[in-house]
Amino acid sequence: MDKKTVTTISYLSRLRIDKEKEEKIVQDLDNIIEFVDQLNDADTSDVEPLTNPLEKTAKTRSDQITAKNLKKELLEIAPSSNDDYFLVPRVVE
Amino acid sequence: MTIKYKTIKEIKNMISQKEISNKEIIKEVFDQIQENEHLNAFITLNKEAALKKSEDLDNNPIDLPLAGIPIAQKDLFCTKGLRTTCGSRILNNFIPPYSATVIENLENAGCISIGKTNMDEFAMGSSNETSFFGNVENPWGKNLVPGGSSGGSAAAVSAGIVPAASATDTGGSIRQPASLCGITGLKPTYGRISRWGMIAFASSLDQAGPMARTAEDCALLLNQMCSHDKKDTTSLDDAIPNFEENLNQPLKDKKIGIVKDLDLSSLDNEVVKVYEDSLKEFEALGASLIDISLPNLSLSVPTYYVVAPAECSSNLSRFDGVKFGRRSEDPKDLEELYIKSRSEGFGDEVKRRILIGSYVLSAGYYDAYYKKAQQVRRLIKNDFDKAFSNIDVIMTPTTRGPAFEMGSKGNDPIQMYLEDLFTISANLAGLPAISIPNGNIDNKPTGIQIIGNFLDESSILNFAHMFQTSTNWHKYTPEGVKE
Repeated sequence: MDKKTVTTISYLSRLRIDKEKEEKIVQDLDNIIEFVDQLNDADTSDVEPLTNPLEKTAKTRSDQITAKNLKKELLEIAPSSNDDYFLVPRVVE
Repeated sequence: MTIKYKTIKEIKNMISQKEISNKEIIKEVFDQIQENEHLNAFITLNKEAALKKSEDLDNNPIDLPLAGIPIAQKDLFCTKGLRTTCGSRILNNFIPPYSATVIENLENAGCISIGKTNMDEFAMGSSNETSFFGNVENPWGKNLVPGGSSGGSAAAVSAGIVPAASATDTGGSIRQPASLCGITGLKPTYGRISRWGMIAFASSLDQAGPMARTAEDCALLLNQMCSHDKKDTTSLDDAIPNFEENLNQPLKDKKIGIVKDLDLSSLDNEVVKVYEDSLKEFEALGASLIDISLPNLSLSVPTYYVVAPAECSSNLSRFDGVKFGRRSEDPKDLEELYIKSRSEGFGDEVKRRILIGSYVLSAGYYDAYYKKAQQVRRLIKNDFDKAFSNIDVIMTPTTRGPAFEMGSKGNDPIQMYLEDLFTISANLAGLPAISIPNGNIDNKPTGIQIIGNFLDESSILNFAHMFQTSTNWHKYTPEGVKE
């Protein structure tokens, strides 16, 4: 873990790291990665990854509308919206 | 009459005997909240609606399992029309247009939601020190942490403000604060309670559950909280038993697994003594102790700190300042809107976990970390499956020690992560587990954890309840032992 890696993953995460906190974050992340490196102690050859304790396949359901349209309520709680859309700064000139 | 430190069962009796009205109960709750303001246990109150519901109940009594019972809701559950912050600045102004299924279930059972409790930001923390709304104080002592992430819920129950609270547990967030605050807290089997309307942290680990003064009350609450929910694909459709039915089963011939790989030498001597005394109590109740081996248990914390951040970095990508929540002022373009809104909206611990998650999921590291952790997760689950072939429950201390001072885990995140050493494995394997008070060290409560087999909440509630019929640790309050 170094400054360059932290800059890359910060951008991937759409986060900006304050200059004065940068050194501490690099150090913390480095310690955490070193800590989780203990996982290499386990022999996992031929072990299937476990993604979810239930290991059930997602259920299907009939394609029927059950939910109420919350468009008005959802647009109302948006930081910026008009009658039909969420508004953001212009992306196309 | 007062409801302070009363259980749900006792309050139900008081209501049915007409010793107290529903409105008097709710008024007392809000007086108690004010008196305990220094605890900072609540973020948002629901006073007007709660008083109204209690008046309605006085005028038109209804026979429901939780009729009139005041419950504090963790601020991680969406509550329709009532601000829901998840302890974060980014949701400071968020008023959900719908309620979580578990909130609906509790309210349909008659309970009165009195407000939203403080918590570690997005449930990421073990001391309630990462909340945007400030630390919660443990009712057992000034400057002591209540644990986390459900610190506000635990403090509200421990201080006797409410008999019960809702909470969530991703790596110990119900059990660890329950232990540090001297109350009972249950994390059910993964999938027992719907996650619809719960703000997601790590979707394969998150599970809601109750906090209360007794195991008996937890059983009553669990009966109401569980349901099969079509809106959550991981919601189980297995039969839901009546969790109150088996509480009084004798423990004779029952077997308790004791993990021989667990290194207790890093704990205080007193914590170990309290734990061993409890095991003797269970033996006196007729149960026997059997040595079991969970050889991969020591890898549960590192496994968790790959899996949980990976899922968190993905789940928290939805907070972008566009559709809901807080947006930064005057962004110059869309990208700056995302980056500024997120950077201003999230605190340091949340950022740290998102960054770790992005790292372990990124190309070139995915196999070495994320896939590896999921493989170890299976080894941990296999260990439990094997152990449970021969025993009824597993016991461990809930935490490494009683409540610690605010700020004492300082700047080292790993020291804080190790707080969940004993609790995390149940989340990785999806198993139910409960923490109950089992002692007191220097006037600070301790807890013992009982882990059950998949879907077997009934057994852990049975063990917990029998312990509480023969001991009175659960009757200890910050103001002395309850009659």
